[in-house]
Amino acid sequence: MTLSMAAIGSALGFIFAMTLVYFRTWPSYWLIPLRYLIVAYVEVFRRIPFLVLAFLVFFATKALGLNISLFFVACATVVLMATAFIAEIIRAGFESIRPNQWESAEVLNFGRARTIFYVIWPQTLPIVVPSAFSYFVMFIKETSLTSQIGAFELMTAGKYFNNIGITPILSFGTCLALYFLLSYPLTLLGHYVERRLKGRFNRPTGEEAG
Amino acid sequence: MIDYTFQWGVILPHLPYLLGGAWVTLHLTFSGFMLGLIIGILAAVAQVYGTTFLRRIVTAYVIFFTNTPSLVTAFFLFFGLPEFGIVISPYNCILINLALNAGAYLADVFRGGINSVRKPELEAAQVMGFSLLQQVQYVIAPHIAKTQYGPISNLYIIFILGSALASIFGVEELTGRAFNLDAELFRSLEIYTILAGLYVALTIVASTVLKLIGRYCFRIKTRVL
Repeated sequence: MTLSMAAIGSALGFIFAMTLVYFRTWPSYWLIPLRYLIVAYVEVFRRIPFLVLAFLVFFATKALGLNISLFFVACATVVLMATAFIAEIIRAGFESIRPNQWESAEVLNFGRARTIFYVIWPQTLPIVVPSAFSYFVMFIKETSLTSQIGAFELMTAGKYFNNIGITPILSFGTCLALYFLLSYPLTLLGHYVERRLKGRFNRPTGEEAG
Repeated sequence: MIDYTFQWGVILPHLPYLLGGAWVTLHLTFSGFMLGLIIGILAAVAQVYGTTFLRRIVTAYVIFFTNTPSLVTAFFLFFGLPEFGIVISPYNCILINLALNAGAYLADVFRGGINSVRKPELEAAQVMGFSLLQQVQYVIAPHIAKTQYGPISNLYIIFILGSALASIFGVEELTGRAFNLDAELFRSLEIYTILAGLYVALTIVASTVLKLIGRYCFRIKTRVL
């Protein structure tokens, strides 16, 4: 449950974040309000604690009269959070691309979507991926807080075992070990991908480019 | 379909109570983070200069705490320590947990800082006859202060957000007091909206102050807000 929650959250978050950045960097005047809205969204949601956001989403869905399961409430929270965090790192990645890349793509008569997918995106990937992985690990860890709104996941199981009388050392210790087993491979994978991508693209660094 | 009417008026008289919680949040995270800084510096020094055995232990500590949720470690401490006969208040328990977590993350940051000092600079310092302590004081420390100040202040903001979980253990900080109000007034949606707004305000104030400190103490050029 923990794993699927974090996986759904991160995957959807990544896609939404890409869309957000796509619109945020759109250079046209009639989209300015949308751009400010996106900036506001990112800034606000990066500054709300996960626990508070979970409660907010939980009560908001109840107020809207939607009757959805706690699992989806938890997923929605992770998605909201992940979108904001990942949008920020993708934006930072986009900004690190030098403007002449955009200009040369324009000269080659590339459309906006083609520029982003063939020129900009492959170059931002090595910058974005390592920090994205550390955020994925963070989301796995944050999902433990959704046990507070009653969603069933690893931490809830740990508390249950504690309540039926198994010593806390054993029940929470197992919990710790399982969380570690979930997130440590992801950390290692992040390091691995980082090394691979660094080797493949071989970007000139800022200092060399002057 | 939306049959929910907001009633903000009920909560307004209780705002000072909530703001008092913000103060608790701030000094909980501040003291926890300062302890974390000490742990982090010691751990980073041990990782870079220590013996192999010491290095392994410290690396295990860092990997363990950066890969497990702080909620679970908090539960572990809160329920686990009394088994060994150590009974501490929830506030102190969260403080220790925060310090251990912050220590692990900061150890990584400091280690990166120490490793990123350029070799020729250290060699130059050695040629000038600097002792190890002098090298640290004049070469390594200023370098870390300048390059790692940004990541450290970001971590501080993240730990302000992370301290919300103290409420689960009954510490009356910002979120804890919001829980109390919720139990009293039953206007959950309004209370949590205000709470979220307060956290946004709190972190914006904190990051502005941190940037100002960075600008005047370490001469780091950043855009404030």
